[in-house]
Order: sequence, then C-alpha cells, then structure tokens
Amino acid sequence: MKKTCVEAENLSKSFSSGGNLQHVLKNIDLELYQGDFTVIMGASGAGKSTLLYALSGMDTPSLGKISFGGNIISDLDQDGLAVFRRKHCGFVFQQIYLIDGMSVMDNVLAAGLLISKDKKAVIQRAKELFQAVDLPEETQRKFPAQLSGGEAQRVGIVRGLINSPEVLFADEPTGALNSKTGLDVLDTLTKFNEQGQSVVMVTHDTRSARRGNRILYLKDGRILGECDLGRYVHGDKQRHEKLSAFLTEMGW
Amino acid sequence: MTEKMLLIRGNLHRTKGQVIAEILLILLAAGMMNLWLMLSLDYRQNFDRVHKKLNGEHVTLCIAGAEEQMQRDIADILEKEKRTQEFSIDDAMYIPGGIEYNGGETTTSFVLLKKEDALNRSIGKIELVEESEYTEGVYLPMIYKTGEITVGKKVSLTIGSKKMTYQVCGFFNSVMTGSHNCGMCEILLTEKTYQELEEKGYAPQSTLVSVRIADKSESENFETMLNHKVSEKYPLLSTISNSYALVSQSRYISQMICSGVVSAMAFFVLMIVLVVIASNIRNDIQENMKNLGVWKGLGYQSRQLIGSFLLQFLGITVLAALVGIALSYSLFPGVNDMMVSQTGIPYEVHFLPIPLLITLTVLWGTVAVTVWFSCGRIRKITPIDALRQGVQTHNFKRNYVPLDQTRLPLHAALSMKTTLTERKHNVTVWITMWMVSLIMVFSGLMLENVIVDMTPFMELVVGESTDSCININTEAEETFLREMEKDDRVEKVYLYHSQTVEHIGGAELVAIFSDDFSKVNNQKVVIEGRFPEFENEAAVAVKYARENGWNIGDEIRLGEGKKEENYIISGFTQISNNLGRDCILTREGYERLSKPGNLSYYLNLSEDVEIDEFNQEISRRFAEDVNRTLNVLEVVNGTSAVYISLMEVIVAAILLLSVLIILFVLYLLARTILNKKKKEYGVLKALGFTTAQLIFQTALSFMPTVILSTVTGLIVSSWVINPLTAVFLRNIGIVKCTFYVPVGFTAAAGIWVIVFAFAAACLLSWRIKKTVPRVLLANEL
Repeated sequence: MKKTCVEAENLSKSFSSGGNLQHVLKNIDLELYQGDFTVIMGASGAGKSTLLYALSGMDTPSLGKISFGGNIISDLDQDGLAVFRRKHCGFVFQQIYLIDGMSVMDNVLAAGLLISKDKKAVIQRAKELFQAVDLPEETQRKFPAQLSGGEAQRVGIVRGLINSPEVLFADEPTGALNSKTGLDVLDTLTKFNEQGQSVVMVTHDTRSARRGNRILYLKDGRILGECDLGRYVHGDKQRHEKLSAFLTEMGW
Repeated sequence: MTEKMLLIRGNLHRTKGQVIAEILLILLAAGMMNLWLMLSLDYRQNFDRVHKKLNGEHVTLCIAGAEEQMQRDIADILEKEKRTQEFSIDDAMYIPGGIEYNGGETTTSFVLLKKEDALNRSIGKIELVEESEYTEGVYLPMIYKTGEITVGKKVSLTIGSKKMTYQVCGFFNSVMTGSHNCGMCEILLTEKTYQELEEKGYAPQSTLVSVRIADKSESENFETMLNHKVSEKYPLLSTISNSYALVSQSRYISQMICSGVVSAMAFFVLMIVLVVIASNIRNDIQENMKNLGVWKGLGYQSRQLIGSFLLQFLGITVLAALVGIALSYSLFPGVNDMMVSQTGIPYEVHFLPIPLLITLTVLWGTVAVTVWFSCGRIRKITPIDALRQGVQTHNFKRNYVPLDQTRLPLHAALSMKTTLTERKHNVTVWITMWMVSLIMVFSGLMLENVIVDMTPFMELVVGESTDSCININTEAEETFLREMEKDDRVEKVYLYHSQTVEHIGGAELVAIFSDDFSKVNNQKVVIEGRFPEFENEAAVAVKYARENGWNIGDEIRLGEGKKEENYIISGFTQISNNLGRDCILTREGYERLSKPGNLSYYLNLSEDVEIDEFNQEISRRFAEDVNRTLNVLEVVNGTSAVYISLMEVIVAAILLLSVLIILFVLYLLARTILNKKKKEYGVLKALGFTTAQLIFQTALSFMPTVILSTVTGLIVSSWVINPLTAVFLRNIGIVKCTFYVPVGFTAAAGIWVIVFAFAAACLLSWRIKKTVPRVLLANEL
C-alpha cells in the first residue's frame, strides 16, 4: 500500500489576462505517492507547470485544497509557503536558475543552510550529492557561467536535494539541454528515485516521460488519464510501447 | 531625431521610478544653485540699486560738534578735494547708545535727526517704508521692525547713559546708516521729540557729513583722508565714520553666511546627482544589454545610442531644473524675509535671468559630460556580445564570502556577497555618505557653537566679550581701578579700548589696546603669532594683512592726527565685527600716537551680580567721570539672537535635505539591485527564503559601506570642517575657525544616519514582496 504524500482536492487555478479570466486548472483531484516518479505530461498550455507549482506550494490555487503530508498548504500565505517549501520541497527548473554571483558550492549551501544550523553536516551532504552526480571538487568552486548545461542542471538537482525534501519537483529539467546531457540528467533523477526519493516531473518529451512509473496526462486543465508504467528498467521495450499507446489514446 | 525618440521612450518606460528620483535630485540641486546665485549675485546688487535710488553717500562722517566755523571748514575740505562729487552737511545729534531688540540690547552710535530735515536731504535720502499719524516719537530703521517693535508700540533706547522710551511712529530705509552694522545708525525724531531731547542735553549737537565721490572704490581711502583732515583741525572732537566699502559688506554678513552654506549644499547635491546618473547609466547598459545588441544589430550606431541617452538626460535635466528654479522662487520670499530682518534693506523678489541661465548651463554641462563618459561602454559592445548577454557581470576570479568557509550567519554572508560584488553601488553610497557626514558635522558644529552655546561663534564675530564695559575719563582711571580691585563683585577688570587709527597709505583700522593681554577672555583673537608685547609691536587683522601681503615681522606705519609711527607685526588677528580692518596695540604703543581722553574697561562680574544694576551704581558713584556703561552680555545676546535664528533655519534645512538625499540615493540603488536580482529573488523565494529575509539581506548589503563611509566621513569631516567653514566665512574676515566639534552629537548623528539608512533601505526594498516564485514559471523575468 503506497503512502500518499501530496493530495489535491478540487484544485483550480485561474489567471486574469486583459480582463478575461483564464481557467488553467479545473477541479483537479489528485494524490501523489511516496517513492513514485510521477510524470506530468500534456501539450503546451495544458497547465502542467501550473499544476506542478500549485502542488509544490510555489503558487497558490484559486480554489481547492492541497495537503502535503497531511498538512493543508493551500491556505498558507507567501511567507508560510516559503517556510513550507524550504522544509519539504526541492526544485529543478528548466532554465536551471542558478545564482550567477555565487559559486556552485554556495548555490547549494544557500539552500542547505536555510534550514540547518549544522554547517558541517550540510557541507558533508552537499559533497556527497556532488559526488553522486559526478561533479568534482574543482567544479564546486566554479561559477554557473563556467559550467556546461548538463553540469549546471546537475548542480540544480543537488540544490534541490540538499534539504532531503519529501518531493523533488522538476519542471522540464531537460528542456534546455541537448540530448546527451539531457540523458545524464534523467539518469541522475532516476538514480535518486531508485534510492527512494519521490520525484514529480513535468515534461512533454516521451523519452523523459519513460523514466516515470506513473504518467499523468493533462489536457485543458484537467487530468485526462493516467498510466502505470511500473519501475524503470533500461532498454525495456514494452514500457515504451505502453507509454506510446497511452499517449496515443490521450490524443498526443 | 525620430529614432532617438523611440530609444528614449523605451528607456523612460523601463526606468520610470529611477527617472522620478533623478528628477527630484536634479530639482533639488537646481533649486539650491539658483537660490545661491540669486543670493550671491542679485542680493548684493540690491544694495547698489537702493544706494542709487536713495542717492546714497559713499562716506559718512559724524562729528560731535556743530559750530558754524567747523562746518565751513569741512565744506572747504570737501570742495577742494577733486574726488568729491557732492556733499551735504546737516545738524544732528550724535551719541553712543543702544536699542532693546531681539531679546537683548544692541549697541551702536546713534545719529539723531529731525524727521523733516532727514526727508529733505539731497543725498543719503531716507525712504519712509511705514508711517503713522503719531506726532510724537521716533522713526526707526527697517531692521528693527520685529514682532516686538511695531508702529504704535513703545521702544526703549539708551541715549548716552540715559534710558528713554519712545512711541514708534514708523520705519524707514537708509542705505548707509540704517543698521547697527553700519557703524552708526540713524534715528528720526518728530520735531517735538527732537526739541525735547535737545533741551535735555543728553546728546550733543553734532554735524552729519555725507559725501558722494566719483569713484566708489575710493570710499575707504576717502574716509581715511576726511577723518585725517578733520581730526588734524579739530583733534578734541570725537568722530565716527563709515564708508561704502564697509557698509556694503557689513550689512550682508548673514547673506554671505547663508549664501556660503547654500552654495556648499548645491555643490554636494550636484555631486550626488552626477554620481547617481553615472551609476544608473552603467546599470542601465548592463541590464539592457540585449536590447542594445538588438538596436546595434538593426543598424543603430553607438553615437545614436549615446545620443539617445544624452537627449534623455538633458531633457530630464532641463525639466527638473526649471521646476527646481521655480521652487527656489517660491522659497525665496521666505528666505528674503529672513535676510531682510538681518540686512534691514527691503528687497523685492523678481525674476532673474542670469542665475537661471547659469544654473541651466552648469547642470546641462555637468550632466552632459557625465552621460558622455558613462556611456563609453556602448561603443565597445558588439551586437553579438550584447545579444549573448554581453560582457560578464561578475568577477569569476573570486568567490566573495564562500559559505562553506565563512563564520558569518547565512543572511549576513549573503548580504556581504552582494556588498562585495556591487562595487559601483559602494562608490555611490560612499560618496553620498561622505557628503551627508559633512552635512552632519557642519550641523553639529553650528548647533554646538551657535545654537546651544554661542560663545565660540561670538568670539569670532564680536571678538572680546565680557559682562560689563565702563568707559571712564582718563583722569579717574587710578581711582576707578583701585575701587574695582576692592569690589568683590568684580572678578576681573582690564583695559580693552578701541580707537580709530589710519594705516598710512591704506585704510582706517580699529585699533584695540590693552595694558595686559593675558587678562583678555578671548585669547583666540590672535590666530597666528602673538599679542603685541612692546610699544613698537602690533597685531594686524589677517584679512587686511593678506590683502597687503604682510608677514609677521614686517613693518607697518600707523597714524592718528598728525602723528605717525612704525610698528612691527607680532601676529595676525581675526575679528569679523571689524570685517578684517583692525589691529591690536599695547597701551604704550597706542600712546605713541595719541593720549586717549577716555578709556573702556571690561569687567568680569560674579555670576549673581545684576549687570545693569552694577553699571548704574558705578555711574552714580563716579558721576561725571563715567562716560558710558554697557551691559556687554546683553549686547552679545542681542547680536547672537540674529545668528541663532539664521543658523536654526539653515541647520533644519540641511538636515531635511540630507534625509531626502539618503532616501533618493538608496531608492535608486535599491531599485537597481531589485531589478538586477529579480530572478535571484525568485529563485531564493522558491528555495524557501521569506520576503522579510530577502528585504533584510538587501538592506543589510548596504550597511558595511554605509557604516564604513559614515564613520570615515564623520572622522574626516571633523578634521576638515573648521578650515572649510573658514572658506565660507572669509568674506567677513574669518580665515581660521576653531569651533568645537561635538563628539557626542557627531557620534549620535552617525548612529542616526546608519539606522535611518537601514530603515530606509528596508522600506525601499519592500518591492521584493511583489516578486513571487511564479515569475520563474511565467517567464516574466
């Protein structure tokens, strides 16, 4: 029996644009489970990223309730959400968003030291994560502009994981990378997921989506369907076919 | 031009808040510069305008005697003198006296005239500014028109040693004798009042001589000549005189101080404006690099892009400067009222094109040069570099305050990173805080030395001050001194007498002599060298000495009447009351020229002694041998009240100004940081930083520079403030200031500035609240 970590009830999100109200998410009910690699797919403008940011407390819903580990977060104000995020969520962005003026290590520690006063432990954790993503010590002293895209995104993953979040939210993590470096990043995410890290990833790339065990398909602000792919196994052709069939069914 | 307008519109749209703050700073600079120019250029010219309108004399001489023969002799002297243009000789009464004014008694030499006679004079005319139907009483110079002295009220005048009370019938304007700052002050009496005073014999019959000369620059020389010839012929008659050169300066001491302070403030604000503009342009170029790349890619040349910046800033400058100038005109009536209460010469506020043109030209010129140099980087940018985010913004050679190594808490460390990477901001903050520190130290200096305890300032302005001054006949000197030494109310008695002497070939000098300068209260009168010790030594006013190129040890020739003697300069003096026209001699030194018929003794009295009562008692006790008594403390209070009120306004104005400057500059810097770090704040918020933490971090990032620059600024300002103040006071004969710099006030001001800057930075960083992590999603960066 899987344990629910995030639960959304009747989740809606609207934006006002030029006087018109645009309903991006419409009455979504959803549960995310611990240890899952959940992939949110859909066409451009389907509301994938909006859903991701609403579930992670990065944005507030217009209607509905979101609970995270049993605690309702949809009622929190911006500062309350900030405190929630630092404790429970990790983020990986498509544009990576490392802070230019800080070294790689500082980018990670800025997040880590926000909740832990044990500096040594945080540095130790950072080093372990850097090792896990194969970033040597000399890279840790570099600045973001001196990194390749793949290296930068791996730093992004380390930053997202530094506080051992309950869920790592990744918004199109390979969107800005070439196929080789994109694969490296997906391997890294898969590796952490295999170690028990819950991951929620938004993508419109089927190759990336194959890494997930649970695929949610979003269309016009609603979850149109979901597919259970099971755990990722490299080179599993059946898995690929199953995903293709599901996406075809969804009108991909 | 159209393409430049397109670029300007784009720039203005992006930087609305910044442009508003720049406009406000330029507006302040222009307002103050125009105010300063109006005060320094036209306000002084007003003296000449009024002088011309009233057919003012260039030399005034009042002689305590009214014999017909003497008046004929004087007329003869004047007729034979080629430089004389026209003159007038009138009967008057002349007597040293005082008027209760501004909470104290102001002393001067009164020239009392019949109102009708004064109005009919052909030169040195009187202009009645306010009249009434009262038939008995006095008309006073405009300078005495205060809340307490108005038409219909009673005024107390000391005429010689008698206190008289008169009804105020009106006020008049007299250019050369309309203030106690002129050396002599006219009072007009109605016919009946004049006759009554004449009958009482309190003031001797005298002769008032007013002379207009062909070349007004000769006024001092002419005055010396006239005094010399009259005293040669009538050595026993006391005289008092003034000249155009002396009066045109002495009536404008407050204006000179005010104009000096405003000019300094205008300069400071202009400096800050230029630094802020330079900093903003550099940041604009950095932030707008992609757009610049696009413009260049489309075929715009560097000079067109720079031209758009130039047009934009010059346009803003003209707009803001015109508003600032208009603001200075709206403030000028208030400043004018304050100044008229010090000069006593009415001034009509009117449009002045020259200050406007100078203000516009200076602002345009300096802004244009600043923009031109700050835009230099545009020339180096190639379109491809710009499109690729241009030149690197960070120095990758060094990671300031590495988080894994520093002992600072996280937020302090992140703030310190910002501090160290934003070096250009630090320069702006540094320059601003140095200016603000200088303003603070100057405010403290004025507060401590003028407003709280005016002694140091009065020592500069008045020279020597004590409790009481008794002028006695020389024959009674020994008895007087014997009795004073026995009197336990008297703590110290010393000779401090002044007479007029002539520097042969130069100006009239006020010669002060004493027989023991160690007893003098204000030992700071001699600022270089020493008091004279021998009869052939003299300490000379430093301003006059510099004008003549004298050094200590040089020899000067002084004279009185027919007698002339050489003196060696033992030191330089500084007493602004005499506008740099004085010298100090030993008693024996003065007696080489003349034996004084009366002597002024200064007395320090015990604290519980009522000075007026003491003076009256001495007058009674020595009867005819006391010529005059003076409550010096009251005189000093009266004089100081004028400066205190002026300084209060100046200090309040400059403190307000410094608050505005800090706010504007921090707003501009905070805005720049916020724009530059919008993405960073979004990322940090996504990672879990709260708005309060980011505001605190941003505000804190200014603090190391604010603290360091404020502390060093205050220390350096404390060192330079006295010489700097002396520069602004040089026109009134001050070349060296020894004001006490209040350490407590300076430290408190420093703390206040730092706390205020932090609070302001927090407030101005409030916009961070608007940055939500969703901007990362919405690609709104």
